[in-house]
Amino acid sequence: MLSLVEKILFVIAVGVSLYYTQVTFSKMITVVQRGQGQLNLDHLPPRLWTALRALVNQGGIIRHRPVTSLFHYFIAWGFIYYVLVNAVDVLEAFIPGFHIPGMLGNLYRLLADLLTVAVLIGMTYFLVRRFLVNSAVLTIRDNVTLHPKAAAGMRTDSLLVGGFIWGHVGFRFLGTAFLVALHGGDPWQPFASLLAAPLDGLPETAQLIGWHTSWWLAIGLILAFVPYFPYTKHAHLFVGPFNFMTRPPRRALGALDPINFEDESIEQFGATTLTDLSQTQLVDPFACIMCSRCQEVCPAYTTGKPLSPSALEINKRYHIWDQMAALAGGEADESPLLEWAISPSAVWACTTCGACLDVCPVGNKPMFDIMDIRRSQVLMASEFPAELKGAFTGLERNGNPWQMTDDRLAWTKPLDFAVPTVEENPDFEVLFWVGCAGAFDPGAQEIARATATVLHAAGVNFAVLGNDETCTGDTARRAGNEYLFYEMALGNIETLNAVGADQKKIVASCPHCLHTIGTEYADYGGHYTVLHHTQLISELIGAGRLKLNGSNQLEKVAFHDPCYLGRHNGVYDAPRLTLAQAGATLLEMDRNRSDSFCCGAGGAQMWKEEEHGSAAVNETRFAEGRATGADVLAVGCPFCARMMTDANTNAGSPMVVQDVAQLVAAALQK
Amino acid sequence: MKIIVLIKQVPDTAQLSANMNGLQLMASGPRIINPWDEYAIEEGLKLREAHGGSVTLLCLGTPDAVETLKRGLAMGADEAVLISDPQLAGGDSLATARALAAAIEKIGAYDLVIAGRSSIDGGNFATAVQVAALLAAAQLSYVAAIKAIDPAAKTITVERLMEAGRETVSSKLPAVMTVVKEINEPRYPSFMQIRKAAKKDVPVWSVADLGLDAGQVGAAGSQVKWSQIDLPPTREAQVEILEGTAEESAKALVDRLLAEKII
Repeated sequence: MLSLVEKILFVIAVGVSLYYTQVTFSKMITVVQRGQGQLNLDHLPPRLWTALRALVNQGGIIRHRPVTSLFHYFIAWGFIYYVLVNAVDVLEAFIPGFHIPGMLGNLYRLLADLLTVAVLIGMTYFLVRRFLVNSAVLTIRDNVTLHPKAAAGMRTDSLLVGGFIWGHVGFRFLGTAFLVALHGGDPWQPFASLLAAPLDGLPETAQLIGWHTSWWLAIGLILAFVPYFPYTKHAHLFVGPFNFMTRPPRRALGALDPINFEDESIEQFGATTLTDLSQTQLVDPFACIMCSRCQEVCPAYTTGKPLSPSALEINKRYHIWDQMAALAGGEADESPLLEWAISPSAVWACTTCGACLDVCPVGNKPMFDIMDIRRSQVLMASEFPAELKGAFTGLERNGNPWQMTDDRLAWTKPLDFAVPTVEENPDFEVLFWVGCAGAFDPGAQEIARATATVLHAAGVNFAVLGNDETCTGDTARRAGNEYLFYEMALGNIETLNAVGADQKKIVASCPHCLHTIGTEYADYGGHYTVLHHTQLISELIGAGRLKLNGSNQLEKVAFHDPCYLGRHNGVYDAPRLTLAQAGATLLEMDRNRSDSFCCGAGGAQMWKEEEHGSAAVNETRFAEGRATGADVLAVGCPFCARMMTDANTNAGSPMVVQDVAQLVAAALQK
Repeated sequence: MKIIVLIKQVPDTAQLSANMNGLQLMASGPRIINPWDEYAIEEGLKLREAHGGSVTLLCLGTPDAVETLKRGLAMGADEAVLISDPQLAGGDSLATARALAAAIEKIGAYDLVIAGRSSIDGGNFATAVQVAALLAAAQLSYVAAIKAIDPAAKTITVERLMEAGRETVSSKLPAVMTVVKEINEPRYPSFMQIRKAAKKDVPVWSVADLGLDAGQVGAAGSQVKWSQIDLPPTREAQVEILEGTAEESAKALVDRLLAEKII
């Protein structure tokens, strides 16, 4: 029980804390509101459910860094339980004789006791990891742009948060031990009893003073820390779930938002400065806990490029902290993101693989920031890697990034059957979207032929668009040229609808085409059912429409998940099932399925030189494939095929790199 | 500096295929800005950025050539003028140069006229040179680099790319200059500039506006007529891929090139 004076002091302290909380939180909210658009707060019940799930499962952290994640669960679940513990502690201190009665009370105290120790162990682990072990995963390489205050700030912030948690939970633990000593033991609080043992001999007054002091320190730390939340990464504990809750809905992980080019009042395209980013992208820096899990899975960072998705969020955070009052006060922030948030080379090093989006436990979206900066660079400033100009011009004039003017049906010539166009076969059931790679790249032509051969063998009634097909615009979009993408999307939607493709199935052997037509065209009124060729082939095998050789040379095969098939669109099983059906013994690379590592071609990298780093992305991935001991590296994307084939050639061709369709075509009974 | 850039709308000759003969392409194929002219525009923009002034685009063509001028405006040019008149149809390089020179005089004082070294359709390499002659201005063709320019002293020193090497030439301004692609890397217009360009007015001048007679321009004022355009005959080519490591295939390639007396 608190004395009357203490009670009055406590009420005053709560009032002061709430006042300052309101002040600092308002600033944080106003800063977020400086962003574009709105946070998504419609359909609140399912959104709250999303937030609750993110809170309890901690954004699924256990998928990576399992030991660290386990200790984090200790702290997080302990802290969630401590909301109740703190409330009960205050009530017990205010209301004479208040306690949770009976067995419920016993269990409550037992759980509090266990979680208290769990939090302290967890927090100790994190402090040791950062300050004694100096874990490498928490550092950011020198070639990455980092805010001048970030390197020291991250350590200070971590120490403050660690100190706060240790202080709050530690003093609560000590106070409970004094109480246990005062009351002569509690079998339901084994750890507090352990700590109480040495306190037993103290005079009662000392024990009482000990409890009062501990209580004030434990609760006082909370009252002091709450207004400080917007200035510490510890805000992640509620901004993280809030970030998941208020994210815009997306048809696929990395589906980009459209730009309205018809609205002539829009003067800013993409993001040049901080406030050009959307509100949800301004929640990100407040949510970031600087764990750098995104950096660890980033194909650009891990191959030595100057891109770290976490550094981007950290820079945003320190930039905001530096001028929180000015930003909250509505002052213009003219400093370009490219000067302090991320370097131009980093912006152009992104492969848009989406691994950072997928891994982030607090729902951050660094890839979208990068895409917004690319948009601003292309649409506003016209500053981008010179090689991309060739791809853009090719798309504008020739409808393909290779700048090829050849017949788009030339790939069909070596086949011993005719591949019908939609004019020749208007009653097709399946439209085979060949893609520019399939039409023009010699390696991908083989994939297109293999796909057509398999469809033909299964008796599928299919057709191709032939010379009416153009690039989907994916290359332009990922390179920031949204206007070119927009024009290409409208053109393709018109072509597709004219042949009734919206009423039929489309099959694509390129995951980029699949993603763009299947998920992104919907924003422009194009709604299509698009299957990856492995999905259709797997169905055909399942339906008994393909006769495959029981014994073929397919032995050990490792499948490389294309980013835009797997992580972005969730197709993992169809290619594996198809390979197994074709007689392959499947081996998995260390990083597979949603953890797959990019081939290095995505995000328009195919059309430019790789940014300077310490390794090539494709060779890094190829080495992983080779390490499985497989004979065949199976791919499901013409760009992965190109990148892996190049890496294979450079390594002296120790493996066979082939598309799943090629392996199935080879296994067809003659 | 007052800079005038001559540009031309041309058929996209990259689209030439066995299915389309030359005259068809000239008449109805897809149209692009003459690629050499993009370098001319870029050089004009760079000079303006360095020395101030303005870049005016001048194009002689059919009414739809305004699209080509819009492309140039989107690259950053300040103004554009289209010379378009049915009487101009069928003009040879001299007749075209007469109209262009008259338009330049109508625009007024200038420091430099820049053009691409040639057009990919006509391929005369002559029009800009004839414009220089008609304007009685210095003529600097095949410029690969501007070594020095002094708008105040009205002098320019350029490097001309010749078959056998490079030649440094100085002259007085005003001058008419044609450029080769070594001179720069043309910029890609941003969407903002495309949108701004779309809103700009492009005045259209007729033969009468230029103060010329119908007999001086177009087919009527021309010595040269185009009666037929043929595709070059297709050549039988053999493709051979040299196997092996990079070193091995490079060595094999050198051996073969030596054997064929190519190097």
